[in-house]
Amino acid sequence: MAFLEMIDIDKAFFGKSANSKVNLYVDHGEIHALLGENGAGKTTLMNILYGIYQADGGSITLDGVLVQIKSPKDAINHKIGMVHQHFTLVPTLTVSENITLGLKSPGYPFVKRKQVDEEIRLLSERYNLAVDPTALVSSLSVGQQQRVEIIKVLYREAQLLILDEPTAVLTPQEVESLFDILKRLRAEGHSVIIITHHIAEVLSLTDRITVLRGGLKVGDVKTKETNEAELSQLMVGRRLNRMIRAKLPCTFDREGLSITAIQDAQESVGPISLEVPPGRIIGIAGVDGNGQKAFAELLLGIRKIKEGSLTLDGKNLEHLGVKQRRALGFGYISDDRLLDSLVLDMDMQENLLLTRYRGQECNHHHFIARKKLRELTEQAVKKYAIKSGSLEHPVRYLSGGNQQKLILARELAGNVKVVIACQPTRGLDVGSTEDVHKTLLELRSQGSSVILISSDLEEILDLSDNIAVMYRGTIVDVIEREGDVDLTYLGLLMAGSPARRNA
Amino acid sequence: MKRSVSNALSLTVVTCIVLGVSLLLIAMVGSSIPSSLSSFIRGIVGSTYSIGEVLVRATPLMLAALGVSIGFRTGFINIGAEGQIYLGAIAITWLGMTFPSLPPILMIFFAILVGFLAGGVWSVIPGILKAKFGLSEIINTIMLNYIAINLVGILVRTSLKDPSYPYPMSPILPPASYFPMLLLPTRLHAGFLLALICAVLVYLLMFRSSTGFCMRAVGLNKRASMCSGISVKSHMVLSALLSGGLAGLAGVSEIAGLHHRLIEGISPSYGYLAIVVSLLGKNHPFWIILSSLGIAALQVGSMAMQRSSGVPTSIASIIMGLLVIMILARKQFFGYREV
Repeated sequence: MAFLEMIDIDKAFFGKSANSKVNLYVDHGEIHALLGENGAGKTTLMNILYGIYQADGGSITLDGVLVQIKSPKDAINHKIGMVHQHFTLVPTLTVSENITLGLKSPGYPFVKRKQVDEEIRLLSERYNLAVDPTALVSSLSVGQQQRVEIIKVLYREAQLLILDEPTAVLTPQEVESLFDILKRLRAEGHSVIIITHHIAEVLSLTDRITVLRGGLKVGDVKTKETNEAELSQLMVGRRLNRMIRAKLPCTFDREGLSITAIQDAQESVGPISLEVPPGRIIGIAGVDGNGQKAFAELLLGIRKIKEGSLTLDGKNLEHLGVKQRRALGFGYISDDRLLDSLVLDMDMQENLLLTRYRGQECNHHHFIARKKLRELTEQAVKKYAIKSGSLEHPVRYLSGGNQQKLILARELAGNVKVVIACQPTRGLDVGSTEDVHKTLLELRSQGSSVILISSDLEEILDLSDNIAVMYRGTIVDVIEREGDVDLTYLGLLMAGSPARRNA
Repeated sequence: MKRSVSNALSLTVVTCIVLGVSLLLIAMVGSSIPSSLSSFIRGIVGSTYSIGEVLVRATPLMLAALGVSIGFRTGFINIGAEGQIYLGAIAITWLGMTFPSLPPILMIFFAILVGFLAGGVWSVIPGILKAKFGLSEIINTIMLNYIAINLVGILVRTSLKDPSYPYPMSPILPPASYFPMLLLPTRLHAGFLLALICAVLVYLLMFRSSTGFCMRAVGLNKRASMCSGISVKSHMVLSALLSGGLAGLAGVSEIAGLHHRLIEGISPSYGYLAIVVSLLGKNHPFWIILSSLGIAALQVGSMAMQRSSGVPTSIASIIMGLLVIMILARKQFFGYREV
């Protein structure tokens, strides 16, 4: 008998089915992947298991016992723990305070913090989760924060761990160590469900795979008995082609974007100099947290440029605000779509309007041209294949991938001259990633200057004409893409090694 | 379908509970329930005069609540409508006393203008403090209420005092500053029309214009608005100005339509009630028209109940508090949590 059985789970939002008669079986000591594209219903299914949503129909049994999970508290009582894609930590508290948050620790209300710290230290050593319990969460890297989330779940004695897109925010090394941790957990008898759309990860890590597509279960296979081709077929329903990047002659007689020694007021980044000619994609490689975001914000004008100059086709921009820069043709894809890019309680039309409310198309003498806006939205939905019940639903109810597509539709529409793409495919499935890459290449052939900031090296290598490496707020080197790239050298640059090309 | 059923069910339950508690309270003070209820109903719709009274009461509530709703939509929590009403009242009194010979059209025009500006300035102060320095507008608007109320207290004893009377109040203003009466012999005045016009204007501004769109976006996600190139600070200050300005108009309307002179206590907490009205009206101008009429009817009806059946009007306040809590909690109680 399986440890967890979810049988015939149904769930609909606003009449649109997100899960329909979905079955899921997970054994003791098993790493189980829930594979599927964005909007396939993976997260919905897990939110039902974790008690965040209530299923419209179906049943959940644990060790053969029928259970009702009405809230995350019930789930925790049934020894189910979940690590969300967006972490739920309090940055101003320490690791151990975060872990014990909401629990009555020994000595409560006068918590014996040292004893708790020691317990957490032991627990983290047992599973190879090296984290200092006394450190402030705000001082931790994303990978370390994820470990804190895992310890938090283990501290509550979870037998079944659910991880939602755990690798989306990690560097390759961090992914490796996460997988080691998960294997360790499996060895200790825990069951793990990971929600993902990375087929390669699934094959190297898991025991069994359940594939969802469009809210339906389309496959339940043993990892040993399957292969990449079969899984992608199941997941996407079609075969994918690897993109081939055509070499472009530089035929635009504009200067493009020219960045000279820019620096922000807090001096957290810079000085940075970079040339981004039209029709070129410049990849910014680097480990997360080396000032990439601040760099992007300097370019768009969200942060003020204190020193240095920024010119587009010879025109100085450093004193212009976000509004003026956007009017000149800047598009920005932020890595934090929930905070920076979307107004979650507005619908798709209004979210598209955010950057267009000034444009002639949608603005008739200060009034919004609602018919035109609706048309534009319908076009965007069609062009980017955004899945949504209705144009009037708040974008809060769209899946992550569809939200990202909406942002692309907004930021890359019209005559964009400069595109600043910050982790544009983070958390997207294979199909959407391909679409994003195609769009970026299309913009490149139309003569946009594209800055692609990504911690996904594959993506950088696939798309970039030149690769700039960022380390501690500055660009340490720019590598010309002629033929093969010296990956060892690139890796050394990213790690901050002082090695030079000929050293 | 499911939603609308649960919606109707929840409203019915809320109505029943409120009705039950009201009857219980009436019984507790020892009045006869049938006669209390009938005087309550007659107090609202019993005659043209009583209907007029409801509309008169609804006028300042509607104007101030429209202001409050603009603030709420933009993320400017304006608790200061009370003070802004007083500022509007001071402004029209000053205008009437300083330029008594203006012709009616100009007088009314300038009264609306200075009243709007006075209320607006009173709200823009905390607006700028919030936009520029991040100070809490909630605290600051409340503090400015105290200042405004006591400022009126000083003015009606000094520079705006009527020298021919010993009481703290201003002289009667020149008739040019009066709003036209709409439905004699009731006290209904053109301020009510002004409020309705403002509701339509607020609707057009907030839901049809690009400026209103930006204000709503700022209210829902400041950071995304900034990243899209919307100026958070200027829209915040603009919303504060409009918010206070509309409350100022409520003060103008009370003087020009009803009292014709400045007295202390010209607003019996209309500014605070406006917050309730705005919340009940979902911060939407058309619903605010309804909710202001509802709250006004509750108050007018309970006063009639006090006059003829001896039921204290405090009951109306209790009912109102209960109603607001129930309506706000309704969603949670009736399980149509919006996932």
